Amino acid sequence: MIIHPEICVGCGRCQPYCPTKAIRYEGRKSVIDQDICYECSTCLRAAHCPVDAIAESHNVYDYPRALRRYFSDPSARHVATGIEGRGTEETKSADVTRRCGPGKVGVAIEIGRPNLGMSLRDVQKITRAIARAGVHKIEPHNPIHSMIADEATGDLKPEMLGERLLSAIIEIEVEREQLRGILRTLKEVAREVDSVFCVDAFTVVEPQLHIPEEVLESIRAEGFTWRPNAKINMGLGRAWE
Amino acid sequence: MTHSLHREGSLESLDKDYVLFVYPARGFNYKGSAPKVRHLVELLYEAGPINMCVTTLRRNMYSGVKPEEVLESIKVEGARVFSVFDSREALKDALIRIKEADEGISIMVSGLIDRVRDIAAEIGIDPYMVNLSLGIHGRTDLLPPADIREFTTMCGHGVVSPDLVRDIIRRVKAGKVTEWDGSVIIAEPCTCGIYNPRRSAELLREKTPLYTLDRW
Repeated sequence: MIIHPEICVGCGRCQPYCPTKAIRYEGRKSVIDQDICYECSTCLRAAHCPVDAIAESHNVYDYPRALRRYFSDPSARHVATGIEGRGTEETKSADVTRRCGPGKVGVAIEIGRPNLGMSLRDVQKITRAIARAGVHKIEPHNPIHSMIADEATGDLKPEMLGERLLSAIIEIEVEREQLRGILRTLKEVAREVDSVFCVDAFTVVEPQLHIPEEVLESIRAEGFTWRPNAKINMGLGRAWE
Repeated sequence: MTHSLHREGSLESLDKDYVLFVYPARGFNYKGSAPKVRHLVELLYEAGPINMCVTTLRRNMYSGVKPEEVLESIKVEGARVFSVFDSREALKDALIRIKEADEGISIMVSGLIDRVRDIAAEIGIDPYMVNLSLGIHGRTDLLPPADIREFTTMCGHGVVSPDLVRDIIRRVKAGKVTEWDGSVIIAEPCTCGIYNPRRSAELLREKTPLYTLDRW
């Protein structure tokens, strides 16, 4: 995003809207630091600039900078997947798709969440760690999959590494007995990254929303805890196509 | 998209915050989904959400959009719906209506597991899958403080800025906006419409006295 200096009146109204503090005063005008900006367009959509000085950068859709927009603006349709959002439909329609069935656990690593974002160099630290742990298949419908240069090593395409994303999701699926190993890997790589990530585990439940003890035991064994709130597929969908 | 999964706060506060999604699945029940989603949105309106947004318009309930405009927009296959309810009773009401309608579109609820389990048992729904949040890892020292995250995590995509929350706290403290109006302002960047302005107003009422104006 940019702010046209000849239009800006320096009111500063846009500044608190930026999730990454990329907007600040330079002299009497607000300017956007292009290195920090995620191209999430929050300032353009929500800050209601009184003189319409905020605009899209001329290079917002140039590769690789376009990655910032696709991963940071929740309303942007990702070019690699054709869907809005950073991940896939994971649990949301699993009652219909039967993705991640009994005996499996889906693990999602939510990059840069909450609030901080993450550089792709740090994302690569996570994809490499997952590869070293023996998981070489990132969910193919997830946009991160299209960014992997080498599945064996987890290396991302090198031209992307200078970019930053407000949020992205790495999704993998493992057998239940592999869950502990992956969680241990994530605990280790958490010490290497210069930002944060959230970890999710999704699994088919037993009757009356009983969470399989085998999954909970793996989570406990690696020193993780789970929040009292979760996302629950209510099992009301069906396929007809 | 797991953007409703990591909402932070006390159990009491989270019990006033249930997110409900309507999600057709590409290749499985996309075709023919438009009238079904539209019917489900009608039912959600009847249950009284505190916020709602449909992907066909991407405008939340406080943007000035009318329910009839929202319903009229649902003509394309695969429209998805994001809604928030501010009590378990309202959520239960919505789920009863959805179950009776039996439209066959996937429904997700984000909220307190024990509460959702109780509601599901009471109305005879057997949930299929759970997505557990295993917390935040890495440089947690860089995060905004926990009291600010109670607001910002209501937009899991991270486009509700901690600085905007602080700015609204300052404006509420200065008497320039009410807790409710301030919450509607904070809700605007959240393009999914899952920011809960009623819970936000309660949080502002609770936290504003703890801040001082000259902190900024």
